[in-house]
Amino acid sequence: MKDQPILEVTGLTKHFKIGRKQTVHAVDGVSFTLKRGKTLGLVGESGCGKSTCARTVIRMYDVTAGKVVLDGTDITDMDQKQLKPLRRKMQMIFQDPYASLNARMTVRDIIAEPLLAHGIVRTKTQANDLVYPMLEQVGLTKEHANRYAHEFSGGQRQRVGIARALVLQPELIICDEPISALDVSIQAQVINLLKDFQEEQGVSYLFIAHDLSMVRYVSDDVGVMYLGQLVEVCEADEIYRHPLHPYTKGLLGSIPIANPRLARQKVKSSMEGDIPSPINPPSGCRFHTRCPYATDRCAQETPVLKDAGGGHFVACHQV
Amino acid sequence: MDDKWGMLESTNEDREKIWKKNRTFAGDVWFRFRHKPTAIAGLILILVLLVFAFAGPLFTHYSYSDQNLDVVNIPPVMRVYEAPDGQACFYVTQALKVLRVNNDGTLDTQLSKLREDYTAGVAIFDYDGTEVGLSYFVTPYEMVDPETMEAYPARTVLNRSYLFGTDSLGRDILTRLMYGTRVSLMVAFIAVIVNMVIGILFGGISGYAGGMVDTVMMRIVDIISTIPLTLYVILIMVIMGSGLQSIIVALGTTYWVGMARVVRGQVLSLKNQEFVMAAKTIGSSTKTILLQHLVPNSMGSILVTVTMLIPSAIFMEAFLGYLGIGLQPPLASLGTMCNDATANLRTCPYQLFIPAIVICLIMFGFNFIGDGLRDALDPKLKK
Repeated sequence: MKDQPILEVTGLTKHFKIGRKQTVHAVDGVSFTLKRGKTLGLVGESGCGKSTCARTVIRMYDVTAGKVVLDGTDITDMDQKQLKPLRRKMQMIFQDPYASLNARMTVRDIIAEPLLAHGIVRTKTQANDLVYPMLEQVGLTKEHANRYAHEFSGGQRQRVGIARALVLQPELIICDEPISALDVSIQAQVINLLKDFQEEQGVSYLFIAHDLSMVRYVSDDVGVMYLGQLVEVCEADEIYRHPLHPYTKGLLGSIPIANPRLARQKVKSSMEGDIPSPINPPSGCRFHTRCPYATDRCAQETPVLKDAGGGHFVACHQV
Repeated sequence: MDDKWGMLESTNEDREKIWKKNRTFAGDVWFRFRHKPTAIAGLILILVLLVFAFAGPLFTHYSYSDQNLDVVNIPPVMRVYEAPDGQACFYVTQALKVLRVNNDGTLDTQLSKLREDYTAGVAIFDYDGTEVGLSYFVTPYEMVDPETMEAYPARTVLNRSYLFGTDSLGRDILTRLMYGTRVSLMVAFIAVIVNMVIGILFGGISGYAGGMVDTVMMRIVDIISTIPLTLYVILIMVIMGSGLQSIIVALGTTYWVGMARVVRGQVLSLKNQEFVMAAKTIGSSTKTILLQHLVPNSMGSILVTVTMLIPSAIFMEAFLGYLGIGLQPPLASLGTMCNDATANLRTCPYQLFIPAIVICLIMFGFNFIGDGLRDALDPKLKK
């Protein structure tokens, strides 16, 4: 049981229909496994399907195709009623700490909501016994419990969101860009909090971000997404040292360097143009329209994710 | 402190402290409500009207249906003529009868008519043995000394027996006003209940469920709202008979459609917000999501709608009463009082103005309260 991955996603596909004819290919055939107590980072440009992927995994959206296995249970086709007991195992932290907390509820009610929903406690007074320690764990105090979300700073709000996700003691937490709406100084505070919980309780994170340096810091494995597809997956340090996919190289090349001397030596990023529309994704390798190494083959044949040695998976014809 | 530039000690607790005062939700709402003068004015106005409508009838000597044909169409401010002995005054009614008015402004008995001098145009009345004349050849009719034909000195006094005067059947307008206000407030209350329960639930479920459910539910709303309420009331009256119960049933079955539309719109825009998604991933039930997340967050526009609907419900009842298909006589509603008054609008305009002013006051009161409540219930505007 210990070796069983907490989350196994195989060929996950999510299409949205717009009108009668058009379909948005938000996520197309994404597969990954997340080991217990580890963190998988998902990175990519805006609109590449990271958030949709997360929301489909947590079954906020119905799955178009593929399979999601949570802790050995296939949750792909479960309805919301069947899912409810499993929700205790999997929680989510949202991107916008301002939009993800109900403005009409006090912090106590926000954190007590999951406890009440799952029948762990019956009354709000009973919930206090669990809510107060939880608040302290995320660095807030009892006095904050009666406050409304808008009275808090962004970092404090995000910690309330984390407390809400953690109060059920889940095994998997999906973090949908939990730090991108925060101040840089607060980002570290929140990340360290998440890391502490991982060490103490062995939770696993599916960590979605577009801040590459932060992902390197938190993740054990990193997956790079482009236009709904996973183009490269491997161990975090490896991907930063030896990126294989041209898109990953481009992404890493876009990290600004603080030292101007080093910055001058840097080879300019070779990626041009914008991300194509997911309504009509390019044929073959979806990156071929922007790839500096593209050949005719790339436009026709879709590359599959293959092992390039040492658990470094990449989907590119050139590798 | 010698070293003003040194670093202060700061514990982690201080850093996370919120320095604002903590208040309960109700205390908070009340705090913001009472700092809005118009809201307080509206609240006081409605409270006064409530006392007026429900406690008022205990203090009057009249009932809403008591008729006294001796005192028909007496205005609240009377023009009276002093009696020769100065002990009383005379008031000339529209029917050319003479009422004895005591000096404190209360109405007394009618004087009996002795005879009439047609050539001089004077009617002679008996006032405790003294003869007094009413000259009716020239307007305004005057009380005169039958010997010298000189008018007695005239002055105006307030009507102490009927503070707001009497109507065309000699009923006390003040008492009828109390009962009329009671009906209006009851209609307001029913409109609120119906809107808050049926409107919010119907709109909320429709918006949250979406898809086919939404389409069907909204078509029902469309159908209901296409039937004019007046027609609807008339149809219900055919079955249930006329009266307040027909109006209540009509309001109860149709008056929530506007609210349902507003709530549905709000829910549609709110249900894709992250906090609702969060509630879904937590595993909260649909009921919790609807009643704890969606409805409280649309409370602002719900209250705006309610405050617009209450006056319109009151006005609708008054309008039906005015048309004569609302409350039936002798029951009083502000609308039927206005209707009764139109017949003698030229001679007794006060009969129309008084109920009309009360309708205005009720509407003002509810509008002000709603405005204040909307701001008070929004925690984002917290001070």
